Amino acid sequence: MNHALSMSRRTVLQAAGSAVALPFFDSLGFGRRATAAPAAARPKRMVFLGFGWGVTNETWFPDGKQTGKDYTLPEGLKALERHRDQFTVIQGLSNKFANEAHWGSTFWLTGANRYGEPGKSFSNSVSADQVAAAAWGDQTRFASLQFGTLDAGNSGHGPGLSLAWDSRGRPLAGLDTPVLAFHRLFSAEGTSLEERQAALTAEQSVLDAVRADASRVRRGLSAADTDKLDEYLQSIRDIETRLAKEKQWLTVPKPAPAGGLGAPKEGVAGKDEIKVMYDILVAALQTDSTRVITYRQPVGTLLKGLGINVAPHDMSHYQPGERMDASKKRDATQSELLAGLLDRLAAVKESDGTSLLDNTTLVYGSNIRSIHYLDNCPTLVAGGGSGIRLGEHVVVPDKTPLANLWLTLLNGAGVKAESHGDSTGVVKDLFT
Amino acid sequence: MGWGMATAVAAAATAEVNSSHRAFFASHCMKCHSEKTQEGGIRLDDLPLAITTIETAERWQKVLGVLNAGEMPPAEEPQPKPDAKLEFLADLSQALAAARKAIGDQGQVSLVRRLNRREYRHTLRDLLGVEVDTSSLPADTGTGSFDTIGSGLFMSSDQLEQYLAIGRTAIAAAASDWPKPGDTKPERKTERREVETAARKQIEGLLNGYFLGGFRKAKEWEAAGADPDKTKDFGFPDKHEAKFRIQAYENHGPYLEHFLAAPHSDKGAWLMYAANNHHDTEAITIPPAAPPGNYLLRLRVAAAADAPQVRRFLEMGTKGSKDDPRSDFETIEAFQVTGTIDQPQLLEIPVRVTASGPRTWYFREKRYNDGHADHFQNSLDKTKNGVGRDLALWIDWVEWDGPVPSGTPSVVYEQVFGGLAKKGPEGQIVRTILRRFGKLAFRGATPANDFLDRLVTVYETRRKAGDEPLVAIREPMAVMLASPGFLYLADPLAAQPDTERDGDRNDGRNDNRDDDDDQNTRRLSSRELATRLAYFLWAAPPDAKLLALAASGELRKPAVLAAEVDRMIADEKSHDFAAGFTHQWLGLDRLDFFRFDHQLYPDFDESTREAAKREVYETFHRLLADNRDARQLLKSDDVVVNGLLATYYGLDDAGTPVTGDAFRVVKLDPKSPRGGLLGMAAILAMGSNGERTSPVERGAWVLRKLLNNPPPPAPPNIPQLARLESKPVTTRERLRMHQEQPQCAQCHRSIDPIGMGLENFDAAGRWRTEEKFYGRGWVVKDKVAGKVVQQSWPIEPAGAFHNGPSFRDFYELRDEIATAHGDAFVRGLIENLFAYAIGRPVSFADAEAIEAMSQSAARDGGLKSIVQRLVASEEFQTK
Repeated sequence: MNHALSMSRRTVLQAAGSAVALPFFDSLGFGRRATAAPAAARPKRMVFLGFGWGVTNETWFPDGKQTGKDYTLPEGLKALERHRDQFTVIQGLSNKFANEAHWGSTFWLTGANRYGEPGKSFSNSVSADQVAAAAWGDQTRFASLQFGTLDAGNSGHGPGLSLAWDSRGRPLAGLDTPVLAFHRLFSAEGTSLEERQAALTAEQSVLDAVRADASRVRRGLSAADTDKLDEYLQSIRDIETRLAKEKQWLTVPKPAPAGGLGAPKEGVAGKDEIKVMYDILVAALQTDSTRVITYRQPVGTLLKGLGINVAPHDMSHYQPGERMDASKKRDATQSELLAGLLDRLAAVKESDGTSLLDNTTLVYGSNIRSIHYLDNCPTLVAGGGSGIRLGEHVVVPDKTPLANLWLTLLNGAGVKAESHGDSTGVVKDLFT
Repeated sequence: MGWGMATAVAAAATAEVNSSHRAFFASHCMKCHSEKTQEGGIRLDDLPLAITTIETAERWQKVLGVLNAGEMPPAEEPQPKPDAKLEFLADLSQALAAARKAIGDQGQVSLVRRLNRREYRHTLRDLLGVEVDTSSLPADTGTGSFDTIGSGLFMSSDQLEQYLAIGRTAIAAAASDWPKPGDTKPERKTERREVETAARKQIEGLLNGYFLGGFRKAKEWEAAGADPDKTKDFGFPDKHEAKFRIQAYENHGPYLEHFLAAPHSDKGAWLMYAANNHHDTEAITIPPAAPPGNYLLRLRVAAAADAPQVRRFLEMGTKGSKDDPRSDFETIEAFQVTGTIDQPQLLEIPVRVTASGPRTWYFREKRYNDGHADHFQNSLDKTKNGVGRDLALWIDWVEWDGPVPSGTPSVVYEQVFGGLAKKGPEGQIVRTILRRFGKLAFRGATPANDFLDRLVTVYETRRKAGDEPLVAIREPMAVMLASPGFLYLADPLAAQPDTERDGDRNDGRNDNRDDDDDQNTRRLSSRELATRLAYFLWAAPPDAKLLALAASGELRKPAVLAAEVDRMIADEKSHDFAAGFTHQWLGLDRLDFFRFDHQLYPDFDESTREAAKREVYETFHRLLADNRDARQLLKSDDVVVNGLLATYYGLDDAGTPVTGDAFRVVKLDPKSPRGGLLGMAAILAMGSNGERTSPVERGAWVLRKLLNNPPPPAPPNIPQLARLESKPVTTRERLRMHQEQPQCAQCHRSIDPIGMGLENFDAAGRWRTEEKFYGRGWVVKDKVAGKVVQQSWPIEPAGAFHNGPSFRDFYELRDEIATAHGDAFVRGLIENLFAYAIGRPVSFADAEAIEAMSQSAARDGGLKSIVQRLVASEEFQTK
């Protein structure tokens, strides 16, 4: 029966061909929204795109004196001209604890103090995307997805496995190639329901076994010693949460990728890699597989693919000449890719006639401004998901915590949070 | 000065702002920031001088920040005298640096820590005899401390799943060696290939087909009047293509013809140097039909008689993707070619074929992984010989041989499956197998009963799913490799009696538990001691001998313990300690940060950089193994190099060339700048950006690592010295800006002179006497091509330590460091070894132990003695 259901969904999709305006779940009356009034607000989504090494200071930021709607898009953002009404550029934000000039992503979404926990040389706290994931995650197959790249080590992101850090400040792993991301989202398990049920049961018995060993080791440890073991036990519980969720979704087949997206090729890198990831990102949101996505992007392979023979770190320390040219080229290419992503998000129509972009908060930025500067972090927010004013250049007071923006966006998107990281309030300037 | 220096460092570590600055503070801050005024909400009257909490540290940090930025005192207020400001800033920075270290150390430090990625890989290797790919796990490095520091080793659900997946792969790989009923030994085969036939065919095809064929057709088209509308008659879509094919032949054809006409190309194949499609790599492929196992690759190779020494190296590597044979070459190792055409050399290289790993290995001349570099080098030679890069390396034939029997039967198999009763309940046998395996995997600890119960359930689940017993058993074994007993170094119950006594003989002896009941500072059990020792000196688990000595309690005897340390250092595995420790201690990861300019440093490619790193590890290891004085890292009359590095440095051994790929000791000429860390290419190249030297990086590194007197970390948001960037001025001139403002000068007056004293080494660590300023691009002049030198100046290394003696050149700088700062250096080394070995940063409580070890090291600085004393210390043997 489930098989039949799956077939019928596929058939519907195929019949619709690659028409992107397919309100997938709505047409099938899926889940709780089956009875929802057509006018009900579409679910909110959040997307964070982090690009490690900063930008070219001279050519990426709009003129600080031109604020509001009337501002000139600088060279580095020129490719986004056709979308200028759909995003806002914000200057003046920074992360007060940031002190590592090569860590563009580690604390970007968390606003944590590295030395915040006594006795530890490194600590972090929950990232903004995971706050949203905690609020919305039970609605979708994946509470959140972390996209990444095999090139992360070369791209100025700093420690971490993705942009995301869980509620205990531990790094969350990412899907580091388009192939992995695609298969996680769209590939059928290829086995029968019974087999998958058996597999889940087997996984549970594995967890029961390692838990039994954990309690042996834990016995007799002093209080201070149990900390690390508790981390392990928590990891078991996290897997169990995932298993429970998988059980819940066991009878719901994975959707077909929206928009006729095919499985990506192995080994794509650089510009193509980002482009394919963006396609997968749109498809993931479009099929409502998740509502929260972060993407830690490649910089090294991007440069290489552009034929730029400058190491990413060297590029970030640009000087007039070859390195600055490389830095500008990188900015322009990234903006061009982002413009393509916004095209796609704007083109996907939802059941109420709004676009996917209208319901998405998309953040694009880094914790590094350029070179070794960690203030005025490059920040661009697109989409109507949080209800902030769009189409503007906003300059907030210098050193306003980045976490204030995350709090603002979370609240704007309907996620209740009183504070985030080192936030001191919301950025009121962003609302009318 | 040694002892005085050490005391000074200890005093600085008290993290207190000197009270002599009270007056400065009172006259410049208190007017606006007292209890009453609190301008801007900032109050400073209650700010304690002793920095003991994060909060105090942060408030002081802000004070430092506004003074550094020149924001305070406001411009309209009286300004402090530059001298007083400078002193205050210097003192405050020091105090904050000390506070960071101290405050970061507070709180309980746990004995429990996860195996880091290196240790995990080595542990699987020692346990199962397999090498597995662990790249899906976090590297556990990058936060600036050692990967043995427990607090930085996290666990997450994703990671736990990775451990399960890798564990399954590892067990499956190991199981491929287990004997199966009806097994026959795989037949060993040798397959040799004469390489010239295929190489000639490839190049002849390319030449006669694409290049010469296209050239002739295009010439015919030209002869027929070069009518742009008639190109199709000659096989070209348009005139551009026709003209391009003439050019293509003129550019590439002569090199291909040169290759075919080269002497000895009828008996072997030369390796070309140009990029795609040309015969620049030779491959050895072990066919899919050959079973996994150990194989030998052999090549008969020679170098051309006129090939320069730097071009006599062969590189072996793999290529990333099967789908794209042109994807990047990933270097594995470089080999020096000493053979001649008359007497070629036989290279024999062991490799391991796994079920999913590579089966093809590629060989090419050593060079940069960069097509631009190939093109550049090719053009250079072409300007001289009109053809292309001179042919340097020649291969007679290649072969593979295997699988080679491993000699020792699988240890795991014997110990886990050996001697079992043939009959009996399946559950009972499985239980015994799993308990035996658990004892091996858990470094001597016995798995608990309820754990075994659960594992048997896992086994039964696999059996029900249809697995054969020997297949089903793999799953619970893999699960053990993802369980805490394996992944964590924690052994709280080591001293408790075993409860498990069914089936198998129990040979676990109980440790003597110490009387000290305080859980937070108890002595390690013998087994914990064995484990700590093994992961310290091997980055791997204790072997059977060590565990036996722990079980019998013998390991507690100081003489036995010392003998074990000697034995472990003599073992091959201690190289993993030398590499793992020195790499992190000296911050060698910085070397991978930069792309080196292949035009300026054509020989400093990936293989040379790798050899340069190994020089650091091998030098450290030699001091350790031979118990030589650790101060020889500062100055030494010999070096540990291989043929590649000796060639790079231009060294010989009393007149005879240094050849071969093994690292060995080479005596230096007394006038050589090499010998000691400051003469090593890896260290010097780290202090550059791949293009130009960075005296600031070098100077700060010397202060941090050699003088054990770290400057405060570079503050963020400090502007780069961009003003003079593209102007042709000397480095010294560039750095003079540091002296212009007190906030810069307070650190740079210590850093810059040292860095300037090292200016005789270029960005790739070669000796130079001139600094050059290059323009963009390159030119050919007198048939020699190179970058355009716009201007050059003689290097002026002379300078003085801040508040210290002056030096005229590099040699005096090095000698001053070696003589006056030897004790400080050794203290820093001891502190780092201590943190690495025990798995936590050095805290105030350890000051006495560090002091004692430093004093002993002043008398006997042998590196092995230092390690021996560390292992013998109370701190090492307690948690």
